[in-house]
Amino acid sequence: MSRTDRTEWSDRRTERSERADRLAADSAIAADVKALMLAGDRDGARERFADLVASQQRRAVRLAYQYLRDAHDADEAVQDAFLKVFTHITSYREDLPFEVWFTRILVNACLDLRKARARRLRWVLPLERHPSADAAPPETADRERTTEDKLVSAVRVREIADAVDQLPERQRSVFMLCHFGGQTTSQVSETLGVSEATVRVHLFRAVRKLRRLLER
Amino acid sequence: MGRQAHLSDDRIIEVCLEGALSSTEELHLSACDECRVRRARLDRMLGEISDAAAVEADAAFPPEKLATQQARILQRIEQDGRPARVITFPATSAADLRPLRTRPAGRWIAAAAAAGLAIGLLAGHLAHDLPAFGRPTRTTMSRAAQPSRNAAASVHAVNATVNDEEFLGELESALSGPQLAVLRPLNELTPR
Repeated sequence: MSRTDRTEWSDRRTERSERADRLAADSAIAADVKALMLAGDRDGARERFADLVASQQRRAVRLAYQYLRDAHDADEAVQDAFLKVFTHITSYREDLPFEVWFTRILVNACLDLRKARARRLRWVLPLERHPSADAAPPETADRERTTEDKLVSAVRVREIADAVDQLPERQRSVFMLCHFGGQTTSQVSETLGVSEATVRVHLFRAVRKLRRLLER
Repeated sequence: MGRQAHLSDDRIIEVCLEGALSSTEELHLSACDECRVRRARLDRMLGEISDAAAVEADAAFPPEKLATQQARILQRIEQDGRPARVITFPATSAADLRPLRTRPAGRWIAAAAAAGLAIGLLAGHLAHDLPAFGRPTRTTMSRAAQPSRNAAASVHAVNATVNDEEFLGELESALSGPQLAVLRPLNELTPR
């Protein structure tokens, strides 16, 4: 094994270990919130729940945005998902990682919104696309990069987003949960309610298709 | 050892996704630059996809927007537990509505106005539906009166008198005509 491979392997192990710690910590907070709610301390539960929101929010927003491709809808889906989690926290099973349960609720919220949007759009005439709609989203932090770098990067981001959009629904879902949601195949199988073997097949096909699309 | 066949594309994907390698594959990868490069390229592509998604979402949700969202979530949770606020409907109080309820004089005036309008409409309708009455005679009379109207155009008072005379003449000829019987019911309706 080369030095690069060893470093890469070590990085992955650290990443996995950090992730496992975070999963356990979130599950512990969720169990606390549930206990507080069952004890009738709603205010205490709400305060503790704020920690859970802070921990899961960024990941939730990224996932919802990938599903919906619209900031307003993603915002709504994430808010609804957190609200639903709090309302039904007493039915949370501690033997399941909180993140898996939460992701399932979030995915359902996203799918519901997508359905609602499709129904709405059926009655709306398509507008001409504004040129700025095709432009890549603005870069966040690195202002020191050259304009050319930014442009190349923005074009690449757009290419990747288009390629992911071209995946069939199930493959896209599995790929997003694994790569953007950071879930394992076994967690994705629990989230989507399909067998782990099916998840692997979809993931494999998704990557094969993405490679074909992006390495042309 | 190093002579083993290259890893297939599909196997490379599996290796990238699951990271599990058999001992022979591990040996081959350590010896074969080509397969290592293929694996590294796919790894890079997957990393790039994840980064691109993160960049896109983070641009749409800057930290201040996340903070607003978090506050909104907690606010909604707080409101969710409270008993529902009862909103008065209609917004005006019962005291404001009372004067509207007790106004019999207004109602009578409205009813009288409606009745007057109905009678007027009926009368107009009846007058219109009698082609033999009024119009032909009036036309004739108008034509007959045309020169006198032109002659009196410069003096208003005279003009008014002439017009009144014309009108009365029309009435007289109408009353003396054969259609008088048709107007009887209308005449009976008219209060004296």
